[in-house]
Amino acid sequence: MTTLWFLATEKGGFGFHFDLLEANLINLSIVIGVLVYFGSKFLGSTLEGRRNTIEEAIRDAERRQSEAKAALAEQQQKLALAKTEAEGILKQAQENAQKAHQAILEQAQVDIERMKASAAQDLSSQQDRVVRDLRQRVVDMALADVQERLPERLTGDIQHRLIDKSIAMLGG
Amino acid sequence: MLNSIPVLLSPILAELEVGKHLYWELGGMKLHGQVFITTWLVMGALIVVSLFATRKVERIPSGIQNLMEYALEFIRDLAKNQIGEKEYRPWVPYIGTLFLFIFVSNWGGALVPWKLIHLPAGELAAPTNDINTTVALALLTSLAYFYAGFRKRGIGYFAKYIEPTPVMLPINILEDFTKPLSLSFRLFGNILADELVVAVLVLLVPLFVPLPVMLLGLFTSAIQALVFATLSAAYIAEAMEGHGAEEHG
Repeated sequence: MTTLWFLATEKGGFGFHFDLLEANLINLSIVIGVLVYFGSKFLGSTLEGRRNTIEEAIRDAERRQSEAKAALAEQQQKLALAKTEAEGILKQAQENAQKAHQAILEQAQVDIERMKASAAQDLSSQQDRVVRDLRQRVVDMALADVQERLPERLTGDIQHRLIDKSIAMLGG
Repeated sequence: MLNSIPVLLSPILAELEVGKHLYWELGGMKLHGQVFITTWLVMGALIVVSLFATRKVERIPSGIQNLMEYALEFIRDLAKNQIGEKEYRPWVPYIGTLFLFIFVSNWGGALVPWKLIHLPAGELAAPTNDINTTVALALLTSLAYFYAGFRKRGIGYFAKYIEPTPVMLPINILEDFTKPLSLSFRLFGNILADELVVAVLVLLVPLFVPLPVMLLGLFTSAIQALVFATLSAAYIAEAMEGHGAEEHG
């Protein structure tokens, strides 16, 4: 069974040469069949495994990414919270500082007033005492002077006159 | 080298042609046309498959993309094993091209019923069963490893020739010739021998008896593609590393 036909006219040209036995078609189809049968089984399972591995890896990576994203969001929230807290603390502290400042200033004012008052009081009482002392001393000195000079000036004659004058004043 | 050996066993069965070529004249050169035709077909098949595989790239590969990624991974691992983690990356395209081209050529030659197509002279077969193809590939590998060596080590590449001792100089120089020789002849010889064995068996017993040899031929062809690619990678690695005085590793 040899079937020969040529696209070109002569034997020497290009052509299609169909011969079941000579072209080894039966054997080749068997070989290709065997190859396809076993090869597709082996290759199919290998490629399926590879695909699954890749799928798994991608899913794993995506899961980790979403986890990381969630963690990031959470931490960012925490950060924002901490920031507002910090701001609150700062404000509070500033307020406290202001208050303390005010309080200290007021206290100091009060203290100054008090000290001024006490100083003034002190001054006036000191003055009073000094004046009193001075008076006392003046009185003392005057008395001493009088006592010193009294004996020589208070003679009997004068005494009599004094007594007479007093009696005269009494009796009129 | 190989003359035409017409084996006329029976008038019904055709002759077995070896060493007959479809000559194309190009600028005074005689080209083996049938080799070019199959080479282009193989190249076309590879390009088309690559285009199909990369046409709709998905995140989770399926179908042909998955298959080609699997092939790429295989080639990458091959290059990585031979050349090493640090330097292998730029050589993946070259090694991969060698492997894929030789593999598809070999299997194409063994699986496609080329004899259905009649040429004015010679017959279509795997491109790798022509010595010119394999020599070209082997010389490319020679160029590649010289380039790799000079690029990596500069003029110090010549130090390789007197390592480990200057006594080795002639042998080291000889190696530059034996490498492409052995590469090309190994591939050419294996593929041609396989095709001849199958053809002769088909002539003798047309049905079923050639099957084991054909399957064996498929196995050998795949192994030869692997061997060629692996050895090329190994030569490139050797040129970059040198025998002694390793700076890294």
